Amino acid sequence: MAPKLEVEGLTTRFFTEEGQINAVEDVSFSVEEGEVFGIVGESGSGKSVTALSLIDLVERPGEIVDGAVWFRSPDLAARIEDDTPEAVDGDYVDLQSLSEGERRALRGTEFSTIFQDPMSSFNPSLTVGEQIAEAVEVQRRARANPRSVRSRTQGYGLAKFIGDSLLPTRDFVDDASHDRAVELLEMVGIPDPVERAAEYPHQFSGGMLQRAMIAQALAGEPSVLVADEPTTALDVTIQAQVLDLLAELQEDTGMTTVLITHNLGVIARMADRVGVMYAGEVVERGTLEDVFDEPAHPYTQGLLGSSPDLDGAADRLDPIPGNVPSLVDREMDDRCYFADRCPKAMGECLEKPPEFAVDGEHTAMCYLADHDYEEADALEEGYFDE
Amino acid sequence: MISERVKRSLSREFKGSRLAQLGVVLVLLLFLVATFAPFLALHDPTTTRIGTGGTEDLSELPPLGFSYTEQRVTPSGSETVEITARQTFPLGTNALGQDIYSRLLYGARVSLLVGLLGALLATAIGVPYGLVAGYFGDRIDDTLMRGADVMLAFPSLVLAIALVGVFRDSDVHTTTVPDPFVHAARSDIVPNVLIPRAAHVAEMPASFTFPVTVTLVVALVNWVWFARVARGEAMSVRAEEFIKAARSAGASDWRILRQHVLPNSLTPIIVLATIQVAAIILLESALSFLGFSGTDLTWGADISDGRSDQRSYWWIATMPGLAIVLAVIGVNLLGDWLRDALDPSIEGEGGV
Amino acid sequence: MGLAKFLIKRLLQGVVVTWGVVTVVFFLRYLTPGDPTATLLPPDAGPEVRQRLRENLGLDQPLYVQYYDYITDLVVLDFGESMSSGREVAGLVASRLPATIELAVAATFVAVVLAIPLGVISARRRREPVDYGATLFSLIGISTPNFWLGVMLIIFVGVHVDVIPTTGRQMGLRTALFALSNGSASELGQWAAQLVLPAITLGTYFTALITRLTRSGMLEELGQSYVTACRAKGLPETLTLYKHVLRNTLIPIVTVLGLQLGTLIGGAVITETVFAWPGLGRFLITSINNRDWTSIQGTIIVIGVGFVLINIVVDSLYAYLDPRVTAE
Repeated sequence: MAPKLEVEGLTTRFFTEEGQINAVEDVSFSVEEGEVFGIVGESGSGKSVTALSLIDLVERPGEIVDGAVWFRSPDLAARIEDDTPEAVDGDYVDLQSLSEGERRALRGTEFSTIFQDPMSSFNPSLTVGEQIAEAVEVQRRARANPRSVRSRTQGYGLAKFIGDSLLPTRDFVDDASHDRAVELLEMVGIPDPVERAAEYPHQFSGGMLQRAMIAQALAGEPSVLVADEPTTALDVTIQAQVLDLLAELQEDTGMTTVLITHNLGVIARMADRVGVMYAGEVVERGTLEDVFDEPAHPYTQGLLGSSPDLDGAADRLDPIPGNVPSLVDREMDDRCYFADRCPKAMGECLEKPPEFAVDGEHTAMCYLADHDYEEADALEEGYFDE
Repeated sequence: MISERVKRSLSREFKGSRLAQLGVVLVLLLFLVATFAPFLALHDPTTTRIGTGGTEDLSELPPLGFSYTEQRVTPSGSETVEITARQTFPLGTNALGQDIYSRLLYGARVSLLVGLLGALLATAIGVPYGLVAGYFGDRIDDTLMRGADVMLAFPSLVLAIALVGVFRDSDVHTTTVPDPFVHAARSDIVPNVLIPRAAHVAEMPASFTFPVTVTLVVALVNWVWFARVARGEAMSVRAEEFIKAARSAGASDWRILRQHVLPNSLTPIIVLATIQVAAIILLESALSFLGFSGTDLTWGADISDGRSDQRSYWWIATMPGLAIVLAVIGVNLLGDWLRDALDPSIEGEGGV
Repeated sequence: MGLAKFLIKRLLQGVVVTWGVVTVVFFLRYLTPGDPTATLLPPDAGPEVRQRLRENLGLDQPLYVQYYDYITDLVVLDFGESMSSGREVAGLVASRLPATIELAVAATFVAVVLAIPLGVISARRRREPVDYGATLFSLIGISTPNFWLGVMLIIFVGVHVDVIPTTGRQMGLRTALFALSNGSASELGQWAAQLVLPAITLGTYFTALITRLTRSGMLEELGQSYVTACRAKGLPETLTLYKHVLRNTLIPIVTVLGLQLGTLIGGAVITETVFAWPGLGRFLITSINNRDWTSIQGTIIVIGVGFVLINIVVDSLYAYLDPRVTAE
């Protein structure tokens, strides 16, 4: 089967006053149609920036500086082939090479997102129903006029805003979309959806609001769902319910899903294939079984070792000794970034390892995936301490 | 009292911001000019030159680079005279022939003194009030802050005008402050060689008029802002662990307020005080523009002089206004710098 | 339901504050040094005349009786008689109110219409020339005393542009509208022209302030995650910007505006003086110069109560914009 998404050498950097930060460095992976691809890593490993890069929502001072995200969409490829041939390769379209308008048109329709913190991801001063209805409306307008990117945005400016504020009857969102929003709320298991739709985010509990966000993400019937830590902000019992809901909806709709989390339990439960991120790089990837049963990278081994009960949904990672490395460019050497925390660091680890194939599609960025550990080459203890 | 972190933050903001640098320069300039006015002034700012007693009429001279013509009546009919600027009156003269440049220097004294003393006094009233309200909370807080709400219900300028109206008939409306430099130059206490341009300084006014009522009034109408900020700070500090610890160790409320709550509330109070100096300078200029300050050697009063119908003498009102704008911009920029470096969340009523 | 309860609470607080205002104003007079009858009588008036006047004015009564009388009179809008003209203060104040309201509304209108778009543009084009221009304008705007700006406008603009009058108020809006209903539009033009300079004078500080607030508020809101969420769901950028971000930015702006309205009213006092605009502010200054205490008290009470009312309106607007306010 052909992959739905092919990420090639994706590199995202932040240019801040403290210096250049290499948040995502040369990341590649592919996601098959209809599967759940999990990205796992500690805080600060660049996994959330990877998610934002996929949906092209990296904001200044961040910038995607290199790489391609190939998205399989024969219709879109055929439509834009003449205008932007460089963005098209067969059935695939490179999201990075698309025009700004085309990229925006994909959001909400082809790509949807669930964010980590539902409380801050909803506008506090609009009703939840209104915000979901907006997502429905975006989709409805796109369907009604698939050729024109502009038709969806046309005519909404300051003047219209003032008009809308003064005369509440004129609105971007029409009644049918409001009704659909209520249906969606019902679908994600929110009781009394009509009443709840008229409530504001602060009147929802965290779990209910996350359900509402899932409803919002599904409004556009997307083909790709990017879920960034969808359960992290929730209580343990609620986490399980939300995961069940996600799994069920994913099965029903067959959406291709990229699931980003630091929680190995969530990955074990949901993902078909996995990428492990460390210091902005995917250090190991493969099927769930490959990576979890036979981890090749010492970092993955450390993660799994620190997580005794993989079936529990709520495991927090016990920290591996040491800290996640700084991603500030000038503080990074060109070595295996895990070497300073690695129990099996060797002399050659001072040079950056390439990606080695472990077994079929299972790869790891570690010399140990290529040859065995040699105690004679081991770096002496405290080598990286200043 | 100033931690390393604060110093670093201040210097980073300072280096990164041209506006902060401009602010510091303007404020330093304001201080210098106000302090050393007798040295920098070219003339006694109060000397009039309207051509009486055989002296030359030097009224309404234009600033350097400008000139105008005027019809003058002479014994032989009327003639057109061209009035040109003079080197010794760089910014021109007013209707009384007083040197505008020298008046600006002396006006800076009143503005700066009222601004600083007014803000200090407002701090002295508002901060204890707010700290007590915020620290004790509940009923005390409710009562005290309702009182503050009543103060806020008066627009500050309206209240200030009313209060000045009340107090201006009192004996302390203004006071004269002797000028130490001029006294030194005139007496033998300090050898005159130690004073630069001593002969020149000796001819300057021996004292200047300080508007007491106005200073009291600007403090009375602005202290509420300090009370609000101090209250907010006290409320947040009150919940901190170290306060609880101090209380359980048996420290009295007053001791806790003085030793713990106040020092932790200082940063936003300092920022607010800076911004308030700008607001008070504006308020003072408005009051003296309206003729309520009791002295005419201020920027506001000079603008009032210059707005008479003789519109061709534009500089008389323009120059003191520019001085106010520069001074207030300087203090505002200084305030912005402190706020950006120390505390980003402060409100407060602005100017006039 | 929540909103109604909120408004009732606000109104009750307004009543308490109004009572405070009245009380302060009442006692303000007794702080005045000197005999209040001094300004009413010629200096050579005898002590008996003076005493009779005191009795007439009720000044011989104990303070609490005077206070009670004062409050009960105020409830029926009796502000007493002007000490300088002998006319009813209520009528004097009422006749000057429209001029002040026209001026304040015009200035607020100018400020809001100019400042919000300017702030939005400035925030969107951060660190671009437009942004620097707007920042510079707002810095100068909040640092300029408005009376000086008024004088400058008269000297440099009013004199050269004949259609814009620089002093006085030839007609009120009612007169202009009446003329319009009789088919004459030129009065409305004149009415607007006379407002131009005073409105700019009074409105500049506010324009600058709101521009500043809008800019910083927009920048802060743009950093919130819900903005990313709006973009992620494909919402048009303009909709994100105005319906979501600007709406939320308005919440703190409305709060600060409520607090700053005092500055607007104070500014009106001085603007009226500069332009000889026959409003409340000029009346207040005249009354102070005449030491006309009943007029001073009446004017300040009307201004204070107006301020309280405006703040209630602002609070309602706030509650409308931010649903969290009325939530318990």
